[in-house]
Amino acid sequence: MAAETAQNLEALAMQAQTLMSVFTKAGYDAVAPSIIQPADVFLDVIGESLRARTYVFTDQDGAELCLRPDITVPTCRLHLERHADPATPARYCYNGPAFRYQPQGATASHPREFRQAGIERFGDKSREAAEAETVAIVIKAIEKVGLKDWTLRLGDLGLFSSVLDAADVSPNWKKRLDDAFLKPQSFREALKAFATGARVASQSIPEDLLASLRRDDLEKSEAAVAVYLEENAIELLGTRTLSDITEHLIVIAEDRQEKPLDAAAIELIARYVEVSGPATTAGDKIASLLKGAANGAGMALETYDRRLALLANAGIDLERVTFSAEFGRTLAYYSGLVFEVNSASLDAKSPLANGGRYDGLMRSAGAQVEVPAVGAAIHSERLLAATLKRAP
Amino acid sequence: MSKLTLAIPSKGRLMEQTTDMFARAGLVVRKVGHVRGYRGEIDGIPEIDVAYVSSGEIAAALKAGSVHLGITGEDLIRENISDSATRIRFLQKLGFGFADVIVAVPTCWVDVATVQDLEEIALPFRRLHGRWPRVATKYVNLTRRFFGAKGFGDYRIIESAGATEGAPAAGTAELIVDITTTGETLRANGLKILDDGVILKSQANLCASNAAAWTPELEAICSTLTEKLAISVPAKATAR
Repeated sequence: MAAETAQNLEALAMQAQTLMSVFTKAGYDAVAPSIIQPADVFLDVIGESLRARTYVFTDQDGAELCLRPDITVPTCRLHLERHADPATPARYCYNGPAFRYQPQGATASHPREFRQAGIERFGDKSREAAEAETVAIVIKAIEKVGLKDWTLRLGDLGLFSSVLDAADVSPNWKKRLDDAFLKPQSFREALKAFATGARVASQSIPEDLLASLRRDDLEKSEAAVAVYLEENAIELLGTRTLSDITEHLIVIAEDRQEKPLDAAAIELIARYVEVSGPATTAGDKIASLLKGAANGAGMALETYDRRLALLANAGIDLERVTFSAEFGRTLAYYSGLVFEVNSASLDAKSPLANGGRYDGLMRSAGAQVEVPAVGAAIHSERLLAATLKRAP
Repeated sequence: MSKLTLAIPSKGRLMEQTTDMFARAGLVVRKVGHVRGYRGEIDGIPEIDVAYVSSGEIAAALKAGSVHLGITGEDLIRENISDSATRIRFLQKLGFGFADVIVAVPTCWVDVATVQDLEEIALPFRRLHGRWPRVATKYVNLTRRFFGAKGFGDYRIIESAGATEGAPAAGTAELIVDITTTGETLRANGLKILDDGVILKSQANLCASNAAAWTPELEAICSTLTEKLAISVPAKATAR
């Protein structure tokens, strides 16, 4: 749907007014971050994969700039400008355009210019409460606009980490699987490699160098690497330090010593990744999976259950909520809860709204520390199309 | 009748080697008019108009169809024309201008030998340094396509116009994608090629533009030219 026609422009403006009034009444500060942003922050945060979808340009002074591909990162930057201490609690809401190149060609539900109305909250200490509140406000705003047939889909990137604890995966492999979880392809490869204990890469590193490395003596290990470099007349250059290289070599050395993951752990991980369905049954499924786990269920399910209880308290009908363990794996910067709101009148690949927890983002935007952060954005054109009960 | 336009490199090694190749095929290319001009012709084939163009711009001219034929490196074609498979016909490998487009990292990265290793260090690097590893290159599109096909996206491209191989030592990038012939410059700069880091084995090619206006007469002249040139191409060119 083109926003350019006068009628839609008016309808979009009215819709935005309604959404913003719900946000401001809930105590969110209305802000309007710049549309043109330094490209650096986005490219450093999101990596080259999203660069291809961001309109990046160079101005007459040679500065690399971009049209904001979302409003979350600009809001983080605005927060950092306002507060010397980035952990200062704050709540913001916004409404405005964002821009993304659409590789398959721009369409009505995937336009290159779209409006986002959203909220971001920083510095909340009670995690699940902040998450539940964020979800509840988004749903409330959507309902206020007149859309009743929403469904809510949840994922949790943090829960996977707890599942690995429950399965008693060694710290090294836990870290690797955690990192790889965001990339389904390398995740499958990593899991396969850990099942056999084989390590395909890095065949070229001399065995005696690896054998001389000790995690409990980094200094000695670094010295060993330095001697190796010197004996082979290799100059140490670049921004990766001797300790960066040594640490990774230690991980490689430890991987070689590591026992293969036992079949029960692999089975548990593989079956957890497949969990998908109504949120309440998914919880039961995960519980039964964890019952036989080496370390028991531990903390894993407590967060899950508490979050659902908080959502129910906030008036959300749990019947309309689904959970998928895989969901969120390919999204850019989320670190815990992820969610999206769908409507039956739009296809599943065009959610009305999405959001989640992104504790690491503020640091990438320039803060010295991690700051608890939860947020969500509503895709205005899609919401309007859905409320008008027709495909966009 | 209209003429066939052939773009050849206007300066440097590529121009010399192109002239030599024509000479071996018994063809003399000479400039028309002013000695520093940019038009030329081939003795004995008056239907061909030669345009001297800087080798970087030959790809653009082929892409737009403003010339029928052009001699330039395959690397430049693949980099500058995203749909080169449909826009360009590679008529003849020419046996000079050899260059491999490669991924190179500091030799001191003894822990990194493959793209998969790069993927493994990207996140720890970001935790320590607050950003993804940077790749200095002028081959932005080749780099993106190559890493994309391997499922690696946690890096940042820094566009580099020249002296790319010095970027890691200067601290402006962590690794590079660049061309190399013997690997000597890489070694001198303390860099090594990843085991699976050869993106493209390139050489100079005679290319035809599908976007140019072709007639049966022009096709015939083109065939005459390629037949004559084929004689002067060493066997090793096509073996590559």
